[in-house]
Amino acid sequence: MVFKNHPYLVNLSLLVTALLLSAAAGPVFIPPGTVSRILADKLPGIALQSDWPQAFETILFRIRLPHTALMALAGAALASSGAAYQGVFRNPLADPYLIGVASGAGLGAVIAMSIHWPAEWRGLYPIPLAAFAGAVLTIALVYSIAKVGKSLPTTTLILAGVAVSSFATSLTSFLMFRSTSELRRAIGWMLGSSVLTGWAPILASLPYAVIGMGALVISGHALNVLQYGEEQAQQLGLSAEKSKALILVAASLTTATAVAFTGIIGFVGLIVPHLVRILWGGDYRRLLPLSILGGAWFLLLSDLLARTLLAPQVLPVGIVTALAGAPFFLWILRSAKGQVFW
Amino acid sequence: MLEIDSLTVNFGKFTALEKVTLDVKPGEVLAIIGPNGAGKSTLIRAASGVIPSTSGSICIGGQDLKGLSISERARCLAVVPQARSLPPAFTVYQTILLGRTPYLGWLGQTKAQDHFLAQQSLEKVELGKLSERRVSELSGGEQQRVLLARALAQGAAVLLLDEPTTHLDLHYQALLLNLIRRLVSENNLSVMMALHDLNLAGLYADRVALLVGGKIWASGSAKEVLTEENLAEVYAMPVHVIPHPDYGTPLILPDGRGMTVSH
Amino acid sequence: MYNKSQYLLPKIIRLAAILLSSLLLTSCNSISPTQIETMVPTSTITPTFAPIAIVDGLGHEIKLEKTAQRILSLAPSNTEILFAIGAGEQVVGRDSFSDYPLEALALSDVGGGFGELNTEAIVALQPDLVLAAEITPPEQILALENLGMTVFALKNPVEFEELFNNLKTVGVLSGRESEAQILSDALMSRLQAIESVISGVGDRPLVFYELDITDPNAPWTSGPGTFIDRMIRTAGGENLGAGLKGSWIQISLEELIRLDPAVIILGDYTLGGVKPEMVAQRAGWEGLKAVKERRVYIFDDNLVSRPGPRLLDGLEALARLLHPELFK
Repeated sequence: MVFKNHPYLVNLSLLVTALLLSAAAGPVFIPPGTVSRILADKLPGIALQSDWPQAFETILFRIRLPHTALMALAGAALASSGAAYQGVFRNPLADPYLIGVASGAGLGAVIAMSIHWPAEWRGLYPIPLAAFAGAVLTIALVYSIAKVGKSLPTTTLILAGVAVSSFATSLTSFLMFRSTSELRRAIGWMLGSSVLTGWAPILASLPYAVIGMGALVISGHALNVLQYGEEQAQQLGLSAEKSKALILVAASLTTATAVAFTGIIGFVGLIVPHLVRILWGGDYRRLLPLSILGGAWFLLLSDLLARTLLAPQVLPVGIVTALAGAPFFLWILRSAKGQVFW
Repeated sequence: MLEIDSLTVNFGKFTALEKVTLDVKPGEVLAIIGPNGAGKSTLIRAASGVIPSTSGSICIGGQDLKGLSISERARCLAVVPQARSLPPAFTVYQTILLGRTPYLGWLGQTKAQDHFLAQQSLEKVELGKLSERRVSELSGGEQQRVLLARALAQGAAVLLLDEPTTHLDLHYQALLLNLIRRLVSENNLSVMMALHDLNLAGLYADRVALLVGGKIWASGSAKEVLTEENLAEVYAMPVHVIPHPDYGTPLILPDGRGMTVSH
Repeated sequence: MYNKSQYLLPKIIRLAAILLSSLLLTSCNSISPTQIETMVPTSTITPTFAPIAIVDGLGHEIKLEKTAQRILSLAPSNTEILFAIGAGEQVVGRDSFSDYPLEALALSDVGGGFGELNTEAIVALQPDLVLAAEITPPEQILALENLGMTVFALKNPVEFEELFNNLKTVGVLSGRESEAQILSDALMSRLQAIESVISGVGDRPLVFYELDITDPNAPWTSGPGTFIDRMIRTAGGENLGAGLKGSWIQISLEELIRLDPAVIILGDYTLGGVKPEMVAQRAGWEGLKAVKERRVYIFDDNLVSRPGPRLLDGLEALARLLHPELFK
């Protein structure tokens, strides 16, 4: 099947398609011809007669394009760190939120939401910052609890992660109940939302996400070796504990960056790596870059549905990822019946 | 080539290995035998450096293991673990190629040399035809051979095997052990393998060490160690030892009928 | 390792492209480019070109060069205020929850039903003033300001006086100052009328205002300092929730039985369809004085929770329920 032999081509094509559709579609219809002219006009040296309403330019450059970029980045971040977590923990149920990033970020965000920040501080994005800080602190806490000498036993890590997560989540729920006026806002954030406009959010996330994903992409070989367990990996010459730590830190950082600006979007980090595995195998040198591409188009398409399905209502994208993604994944799973892919 | 001197391994208060002293010369096969829980697997793991030792030293060609980095260690010492839940996603060839890890960088970039050696190892274990098959599709014996080939691809002078014949039937047991003997003499390897089948130890090992409760009970040639007194005491049951009709090596015939639970 | 074939686009991508482009076509429902041009308001009032500068509920100074002609309301209370002061024709859009008066339903919906507003739809309306409320998240306000829009946030009133001020503020912003003043005066006299009738009352019944009953053993009510609390007192009652801590809180059924309110007002009738018959069937509730004396009433929660002119309707309705004898 041609499909199977050209994974990069297929995923890149899907990504480009998703990017175009995401930029072109929305509740306000801008004819594709106009879109290309508006974009062309922005190129240096070209000046076209602007026969389009100013609103189109605002919509395209201040709302749609930054939002598209942010969703693509978030999807790539979540899927690649999901793949990395699955590799480190050697567990198909692992997702980027396993050891506490989501609950830590949620707690940080809800605390920030309960505080009435001076109005001038709004531009400093207290909520994304607090979410990021919450995520990072939680991971650091879990890490220090689970560490035994120089090693990081995976079972202890999972258990510590689950315990700390549960604690953070209940604290968050308590806070949400206490300030019920912020309840809807908090719930909306938890399900994945991105209200902010302009290029600031994506510019702020880009450095961390690129560094994090870059570190993951080059760790494919190490993850392959780690599939045999820490002892065999060490016997094969890999510093297993150091590798695990590096990969986990990179994956957690990547996830925290995504979550800070887009809230907690579920399903992408868990399913996209499996999708890639079923179709193109479990070699992590390929799985990671393909997850980056796959996560990007998957989230872009989910977000497109979230914005257009019930227009003018905007569904939280976290609802659509599972709602639309699960049947799609099950279809793929059925067609791959009998195949061993884990 | 492999010199273990006074190795002691403690897990908290429990002493798993106590002052174990062994050596394996190039071209030699040393079998480690002993009852369950004696510490055979622990010995293999400690010798490969994956569990810390409380005292004692492990030297390969005179070099202390402690002074070597993890990848340097993997270049002189390779381990063949039991073939259990291997990641099914990889093909036979990919698995063997991973044996070249100590020579590859973080990115895992392979050179022609790595492929050549992997192919060579593949052929040595006679798995050439199954090169592109997924590991999950192989039988237990074939999987064990894959792991052996992977260890060979490491190009190490010392090979440690942890009960390689478990779950293998008579045919594959013989196949594997004959293969190991051949490789030992062709490549002048030093092999230490944990076995629980005493007869196989007698047939295929040059020397045998009997490990009981973490201590070396006896070591020497097969005839010297596999005696009725030693075995009856260590296994707490009567045994007969007779010479093998073809090779003269000790054959152990357990005489356990009528045995009741001992205290 | 794989050959780069010349035959590029796999079937599935083509199929996907077809499916997704049909989705795109179905998505262009709301506003077409031509609609933007024709959205010129046909109001009978000409804008006053006097510069306006008012500090809003968040402490921002909001400046307008002329009175707002294309107002976007982000809260039901704001919509009600705008229509009540006669500025209805200057409103170009509303949030999903604005449903009163009926004319508001004809306005363009900018979302918010699931929390997030539809920023694109908002931009397409090209409002010259966005009227936000305390329920609008600060990030949303920032996002709109970043797009160059003028956003005025109205703070929730704590006293009736503040409600009247809000009405007058919106009047200034929309150039309907005189109508706003007239409305404000009318509401003020209705308030004073109620206050004078109630002032003579001797008995202040204990009122339980039920907000939510998802957990029958711990219903939600409004606490001290909320506007509902204020209204119950002005209407001649005693808010049971005033003894609790917090704005929207739960009270245990045991505590409720101990306090034994004389009147139960079902605010959850509006969204939850809760009726008096259902209350009598709840285990443990049948012994309450209010249930036995049949003083359990349904109530339109919108009349007390939306900080707009209908608060006076709510106040009057409450007073009638609590002291029917004073309103023959």
